[in-house]
Amino acid sequence: MHEVSLAESIVNALLDMKEEQGWKSVVEVRLRIGALRQVFPEILSFAFEAITPGTALEGARLVVEDVPLSFRCEECGTVWDEDAALCPACGSMHRETVAGMELDIESVEVEE
Amino acid sequence: MGKIVTLQQSIMAEDEKFASSIRKANQKRGLLMVNIIGSPGCGKTTLLEQTAKSSGLSFGVIEGDLATNRDAERLHALGVPTVQVNTHGGCHLQAHVIEKALESLPLDGLDVLFIENVGNLVCPAEFDLGEDFKAAVLSTPEGADKPLKYPYLFRSSEVILLTKTDLLPHLPFDMKMFEEDVRSLNQTAPVLRIDGIGGQGMSEWTDFLKGRIAEKRRG
Repeated sequence: MHEVSLAESIVNALLDMKEEQGWKSVVEVRLRIGALRQVFPEILSFAFEAITPGTALEGARLVVEDVPLSFRCEECGTVWDEDAALCPACGSMHRETVAGMELDIESVEVEE
Repeated sequence: MGKIVTLQQSIMAEDEKFASSIRKANQKRGLLMVNIIGSPGCGKTTLLEQTAKSSGLSFGVIEGDLATNRDAERLHALGVPTVQVNTHGGCHLQAHVIEKALESLPLDGLDVLFIENVGNLVCPAEFDLGEDFKAAVLSTPEGADKPLKYPYLFRSSEVILLTKTDLLPHLPFDMKMFEEDVRSLNQTAPVLRIDGIGGQGMSEWTDFLKGRIAEKRRG
């Protein structure tokens, strides 16, 4: 459900930018979405396609790059990509999230 | 081929602006703001009612619901300043809504401001409202397996409240699994066991809040 809110945020940000930058059109929007975020790319694309017609973004493609999760052990520095609580090398429970929390507009392809 | 423009900006950049302006204003006020998230019927409003009765804290509430003023009426009846926000189908609150709601609450003299988010374990956890921390609420009848099924909320909360503990004798609730699963997601959040109707566990909740309020006032 919140994919619609996200799609609206993307569209509003890009409409403002298009106006400021004087782009003729936006061809493609590339997103990076981390595995730890609760976002379903197909629903986000569906929402984007549903709300763009009639706006200056009509016809723009949405491309979502999935970013896999990655943790780093704060004790021994081991990096792992399973959703495991403990460090697979030393068993420590102190980990930092290196990747997987992304929710970004990476780039846009525009016609000037 | 058109021109590629690199943006590398958050999808929620606009929301984050509101959230950070709320955070700054509350920092100046020395006001702690807590975002309470849990399923419909898990006991969020009952927790707040019991907090009003037993904590001695002075607090206000922003109530998020799809429809009705029922929760706000329950809290008004106890003299808690409350503003009801109806999302009309929206599954979560967003920071610009909170900024507006803050204008209609008397904030002076409050120890803490609670946001009771829309009942939902998924979407509300994704949106920064400018709060100091999220509090996840899970009631025992929902089942011990929920933390792993809704990991984002339990990972991102700074306190986890297990409510309706008075029902435990009647439920096949696997406490060991619940605690292990919570720890696997979140190594630091305290897990408080609360019976919101009988009042058991409320003093731990009050102590936790008092600690955070004192921390906030020190700045």
